[in-house]
Amino acid sequence: MSATTLNPAAYVDPRTLPGEVGMVESPRKRWLPFNIWHLVLFPMALIMVVPLLWVLVSSLETLNQTRHFPPILWPGTFQWSNYPNAFNAAPFGRYFINTTIVTVTVVASNLLLCALAAYAFARIDFWGKKVLYFLLLATLMVPLQVVLVPTFLIVKDLHMLDSLAALIVPNLANVFGIFMLTQFFRTLPIELEEAARIDGAGRLKILFTIVLPLSGPALATLGVIQFLWTWNDFLWPLIVIQTPTNFTIQLGLMNFQSAHATDTNLLMAANVMSTIPMLVLFIAAQRWFIRGIATQGLKG
Amino acid sequence: MADVTFDRVSKVFPGGTVAVDDLSLTVGDGEFLILVGPSGCGKSTALRMVAGLERISSGEIRIGDRRINDVQPRDRDIAMVFQNYALYPHMTVAKNLAFGMRQHKTPHEEVQRRVKEISEMLGLQDLLARRPGQLSGGQRQRVAMGRALVREPAAFLLDEPLSNLDAKLRVQMRAELKKLHHRLNITTIYVTHDQVEAMTLGDRIAVMSAGKLLQVGVPQDVYDRPDNLFVAGFIGSPPMNLLAGTAAGGVITAGDLVFARAGVRDGEVVVGARPEVLRLVSEDDPGPGFGVSVEVVEPLGDEVLVHGWVQARDAGVRIEVEEATLLASDGDRGAPVTVRLAPQVRPKPGETVHIAVSADDLHVFDAASGAAIR
Amino acid sequence: MQISAGRAAVAAADEAKHRRRGDKGRRPGDSLAGWLFVLPSVVLIVIFGLVPIVWGFVLSLQKASLISPDRPFVGIDNYTKIAHDPLAIQAAQHAVTYTFLFVPISMGLAMFVAIALNRKVALIRTYRLAVFIPVAVSTIATGVMFLWLFDKTFGLANFVLEKAGLGPFGWFDSVKGALPSVVIMTVWGWLGFDAIVYLAALQGIPAQLVEAAAVDGAGRWSTFRNVTLPLLGPASLLLMVWSTISAIQLFDEVFFVTKGGPVNATSVPVFYIFKLAFTSSYGFGMAGYAAALAYLLFVVIMLVTLFQFWAGGKMVHYSA
Repeated sequence: MSATTLNPAAYVDPRTLPGEVGMVESPRKRWLPFNIWHLVLFPMALIMVVPLLWVLVSSLETLNQTRHFPPILWPGTFQWSNYPNAFNAAPFGRYFINTTIVTVTVVASNLLLCALAAYAFARIDFWGKKVLYFLLLATLMVPLQVVLVPTFLIVKDLHMLDSLAALIVPNLANVFGIFMLTQFFRTLPIELEEAARIDGAGRLKILFTIVLPLSGPALATLGVIQFLWTWNDFLWPLIVIQTPTNFTIQLGLMNFQSAHATDTNLLMAANVMSTIPMLVLFIAAQRWFIRGIATQGLKG
Repeated sequence: MADVTFDRVSKVFPGGTVAVDDLSLTVGDGEFLILVGPSGCGKSTALRMVAGLERISSGEIRIGDRRINDVQPRDRDIAMVFQNYALYPHMTVAKNLAFGMRQHKTPHEEVQRRVKEISEMLGLQDLLARRPGQLSGGQRQRVAMGRALVREPAAFLLDEPLSNLDAKLRVQMRAELKKLHHRLNITTIYVTHDQVEAMTLGDRIAVMSAGKLLQVGVPQDVYDRPDNLFVAGFIGSPPMNLLAGTAAGGVITAGDLVFARAGVRDGEVVVGARPEVLRLVSEDDPGPGFGVSVEVVEPLGDEVLVHGWVQARDAGVRIEVEEATLLASDGDRGAPVTVRLAPQVRPKPGETVHIAVSADDLHVFDAASGAAIR
Repeated sequence: MQISAGRAAVAAADEAKHRRRGDKGRRPGDSLAGWLFVLPSVVLIVIFGLVPIVWGFVLSLQKASLISPDRPFVGIDNYTKIAHDPLAIQAAQHAVTYTFLFVPISMGLAMFVAIALNRKVALIRTYRLAVFIPVAVSTIATGVMFLWLFDKTFGLANFVLEKAGLGPFGWFDSVKGALPSVVIMTVWGWLGFDAIVYLAALQGIPAQLVEAAAVDGAGRWSTFRNVTLPLLGPASLLLMVWSTISAIQLFDEVFFVTKGGPVNATSVPVFYIFKLAFTSSYGFGMAGYAAALAYLLFVVIMLVTLFQFWAGGKMVHYSA
C-alpha cells in the first residue's frame, strides 16, 4: 500500500537568517562587488590595530632602522635577536613569574571566596544579611585614591610591604565578584538545590556539586575579567613594590622604559613580550570578555 | 486604495532556500485576502516582499499599476501590523500613532485629526498618554492596528496579528477586524497559520505550502472543492478523513468502501470524506460504506465527534505536513477516521459501527501527485 | 579598577527585588552557616576595604607621613588648604578639561563604531576583534606604544601628518597638545570597551522595531534618531557615568607617559595626590593633605554621578 507524502522542503524562518541585524534589507541595487560597509569597517579596524602593528614592526628592526626618518615600515630582515636581548636586559623572566603567581592566586581565590559569599547572599537568610550587603555595596562606591594611603599603611603594618603578598592579600576577595555571582546565582532555579537539601546534602556540598557546575559561564566571565585587572594593574604595585625582583610586568616595563628609552627596538620588543600573554588570552577567551563587559553595561 | 498583484514572484535566500516559488496572485481593490498555510510555507515572506522588507528574487509585485520591486517601504503606501506589534516602547500611544504621519510630513492638524479618529474607532482614547509597557496585550494589538490604519494606506498588511492573544480575545478581535474592514474597505493581506481564522475572516483564502500557492478561492469553495490533498487535509477542522485506495475501470476501492467514479485512470488514489458527510447506518445499508471500530467519543453539546479506525487495515494513508502529521496510519490499526454526528446518536467506545456515505460527497485524489480528480 | 556607583545602585535595586525570593524564612543554623560562608570575604574586605575608608577620613584630619607614626590632628586644616592650593585647582581644571574631551569623544566614536560593527558581513568577527583588542592592552604598554608613535622625530604619527600636509606635532611634549594627546591615547584604549557595550545594546533592539519604522516611513537617519538612539539611552547613561568616573580618576597614563608635564600641563587630581603622599616632591608629611584631597574628590565624584543619574533618568526611558 502506498504512502503519500507531501513534505514541504526544510524551511527556515527568514527572520532568523543572516542579514543585516537591525537594518532593513533595502530593495536598492548593489553598486559594488562587496558590501559597502567594508569601506567603513576596514579603515576603522586598521586605525585600532596600527599602533600595535607599528610596535611589532619596530621590535623587529635594528636600532639604526628605528632611528630613521621617514620611518621604515618594512625592514628587509627581521631582527629577532631584539627579543632575547630585551629579555636579558632586564629580569623579564622574574617579572612574568611574579605576575603569574599573583594573578593566578588572586583569580583562584576570588572565584572561591566570592562564590562562597555570593551563595550565602543568594540563598541563605542570616542575621545582619541586609546590613552587610549594603555595607559591601558602599565600598564599591569609594574610589581607589581614598583608600590608597591607608591600605598602604595597613600592608606596611602587616609587614607585607615590597612582597608579592602585598599584591595578593588585599585582592583575595573582590566585592565586584561577590555581587556578580550573587546576581547570577539568583537566576538559577532553586528547585535543584531544594531537592538536594531534601536528599540531605549540606549547603557546602550543594554549592560545590550543584550550583558551581551550573555556573560555568559566570565563573568564566568573572575569572577573565579579574585576570585582566590583576595582570594589568599598575598603581597599586607601583606603591607597594620597590625591589625590582618583585616587580610585576607592568612595573618592569616602566623600568625598562626609563632605562632604555633610546633603545627603541629593544623597548618595543619588551612591550610586545609584555602584551602578548593578555592578547592571547583575550583572543582565546573573547567570548567571556565580551560577555563580561556587555552585561556590565546592560545591567549596570 | 488599489489592488496588489504578485506576478510570478519568487524569493530565494542566500544559501539556496526557496521561500516563495513562482507565486502569482491578485488581491482585488478592497478585498480581504488571507494567506494561510503551516509554519514555513512562505506566507510571511510573501507579505514581507509586499512591504519591502525582503528583496524580490524574481518576478514583480505591483500595487495598482505601479511596479514596486525597487521602491522603498516608505514610498509604497502600505502599512503593516507585526506579529509582536513592534510598538515603539519609549513613545506614548499618541506618538506611536502619529509617528508614521510625521515621517511623511503630514501637517499637524491633519495628524491630530486622524489620531483622534482612529483612537476613537479602536477605543484607545483613554490610553493616548500611556506607554506600550503599560498596556495589556489586547490594547497593544489595537494600537498596532491603529498605527497602521492611521496612515490610510493603499494596502494593509497583517502578519499573524492575533496569534499572541488568548483564545477569547482572539475571537473578539476577529469580529472587530471584520467590522473594521467593512467600514474602511482597505485592500488587506492577512497572514495566518490558523485555518479557522482564515475561513472566518477572508473574502478569499490562498493556501500555501513549501513556497507554492496551492489554491485560491472563496473559503467555502476551497472547503468544498479542494484542489489537492494538502488543501483537503489542511482546511477543515476536524480534518478530512483520507483513505488509500485503487481505481480500476471506473470503480474505486478503498478497503471496504467501493463506489463508481467516471474519469479516473487506473492506479492508486486517495479517497477523502469530510467528517460531516459520514452517516451512521445499520449493517445492511446498501450504499457505499465501511466499518469503523470506535475508539473515542467526544460529545460537544451540539454535535458528537466519533474517532475510530477503519476496519479494513489496508486503507491507511500517511500525510505529513510540517507541524502536524495530518493522518498517520498505524501499521496495525489502519486508517483513523472521524465522524461528525448529531448529538442524539452516540455509539460506544469499542463498538463496531457501519458508516455510509454518498459517492457524490467523496473526493478522489491521485496518490502520486495529490491532485484532485474530478 | 573602580566600579561605578551606578553599578552599586543597580545592585542595590536588584537586592531589594530579590530579598523575598529564595529565602523561605530563617532556619536554625542558617545564620551560622551564612556567616561562615561570607566570613573569609568579609574579613578581607573589612581589613582592606572598610577600615581604609574610615582611616582615610581620619588621615585627612591629620598631618601625616608614611614613615613616622606621629600623626598630630590638625582638624579641617587640610581641607581649607585645598581652596588656596594653585596646584590642586590646576589639577581640577585639567580633570574637567580631560573629562569633557574624553567622555563625549569616546562615547560618540564608540556608538558609531558599534553601529558599523552591528551587521553580518564577511570578516565581521575579525573587525570586531580588531576594535575590542585594545581593551586587553595595559595602560603602561599603551603608554610605551604611544610614546613611540608620537615620537616627534621618528614617530609614525608625525610621518603620516606630514604626508597629509599638516605640520609635525609636539604631542606629549607640547604644553597645549599634551592633554589632547593623552585623550587620544586613552580613547584608543577604551573605545573597544564602550563599543562592546553599545554593540550588545544595539543587538538588543528588536529587528521588527526597525522594520516597523521603515514601513512607517522613517529613513535611515530618522530611524536612528527616533528609534535606535532612544533605545540606547540606558546603555549611554551607564557608559557616561562609568567614563566620567574613570576620567576623573586618570592616573596611569599621566604618571607614566607625561609625568604630569610638560610644566604640569597634564597634572590631574589622582596624580597630584599620589605625588603628595608617596613622593617627597612636595615635602614630607603630606599624606594627610593627600587624604583630604582624595576625600574631596570622592565627594565630587559622588555628586557628579548622582547628577548624571538624575538628569539622565529624566531623559532615558526604559522600555518594558
